[in-house]
Amino acid sequence: MLKIKHFIQQSWLLIVAAFCFGLLIAVTDAALSPKIQQNKINKLNDLAATLLPQAKDFIPVKLELEINSLQGKKQKITVYKALSKKDKCIGWSFNTSGPGFADKIELVIAVDSNFKALAGFDCLATNETPGFGDQIKNDYYQNQFKGASAEGLTLTKTGDPEKIDEEIVAITGATVSSQAVVSIINNSLIQIKQQLQQHGLIGNDRNQ
Amino acid sequence: MTETSDIKPKIYQQTFLAGLWRENPVFRLLLGMCPTLAVTAALKPALTMGLCVIFVLVCSNIVVSLMRNLLKPHLRILMFTLTISTFVTIADLFLKAYVPKMSEALGPYVPLIIVNCIIICRAEACASKNNLAVSIIDALGMGLGFTFTLCVLGAIRELLSTGKIFEIQMMPGAFVPWAALSMPVGAFLTLGLLLGLVNQITKTRS
Repeated sequence: MLKIKHFIQQSWLLIVAAFCFGLLIAVTDAALSPKIQQNKINKLNDLAATLLPQAKDFIPVKLELEINSLQGKKQKITVYKALSKKDKCIGWSFNTSGPGFADKIELVIAVDSNFKALAGFDCLATNETPGFGDQIKNDYYQNQFKGASAEGLTLTKTGDPEKIDEEIVAITGATVSSQAVVSIINNSLIQIKQQLQQHGLIGNDRNQ
Repeated sequence: MTETSDIKPKIYQQTFLAGLWRENPVFRLLLGMCPTLAVTAALKPALTMGLCVIFVLVCSNIVVSLMRNLLKPHLRILMFTLTISTFVTIADLFLKAYVPKMSEALGPYVPLIIVNCIIICRAEACASKNNLAVSIIDALGMGLGFTFTLCVLGAIRELLSTGKIFEIQMMPGAFVPWAALSMPVGAFLTLGLLLGLVNQITKTRS
């Protein structure tokens, strides 16, 4: 009993403060979390809309898709179906991530309706080296992916970046970052395509 | 009575000015080096970080000053950390809600304000020993001193690494940007040169 009394005497301020501060954070979080969630959805939609400009709306697919990430972990993916004005499926978009040179790279990837060609990709978050790896955000690198094959890309150090095919020309001085993007895209596309096919969402002309 | 009322504004003035130069947290105390080096690649993130630190510093100094008589000596650091982490979490949530792009640019450095030595140092050295007014003035002086330093570093690095400030072109077209200054090496170089300059100024003055 004396021990409990001593404990309370010593720590009552800490307990009261922890309760008050916790309440303050909970109230702030409750007030701001809808806006934070909306910001995330807006960002994803904005990026996806620039990649699939014909899309009128992006509807999340109600499937629990899970892929093996490049680090060997399970990664949950939400795939969005891009619909045209006539409610026809014109493509798919999703965000995924993988290891880069400096840190994790988060990408938004868009593909056509039957997963044959890439509509492009954009960076949601990257901390690659300024002036080198961060050039993965530049148009001249990203444009190589627009219309490229969605069935396996390869990285090459020399070539014509304006030629659209399965070969991606690496950024000079940033081969690791260039390879990271190609690997993330290859890894996610193959697995997501397989899972969408298994669920009959692509490959049977139902949505094309 | 007159004497006391004369001394008070002087103390407030001295406390406020100490943070700006005499005890500048970065140039003189060498505290808060992590954000100083990490977020000063451009002026905007430097300014945002500075404003966040001012908010957290003022709020934590107010709370610590108000409960200074109730603090148990062996639990005080725990109380400081609890107080600081609360206000840092609030600042982080506000940034995520209202300036999401800046929040992304600052990355983990906003949550890392929790372990910023300036804040815990001011809570220990000033707020836990002084009244509310002195604590607030000290927080404002230190916070503004920190923000000013970050902005100077950010402006120099952004100008020389991109030729722009606040995305406005400042350097002539022929200027070749020094990309290295936007990298970590640029942060160490600029900070080192500025510290040398400040030491030289202090030496010349004395």
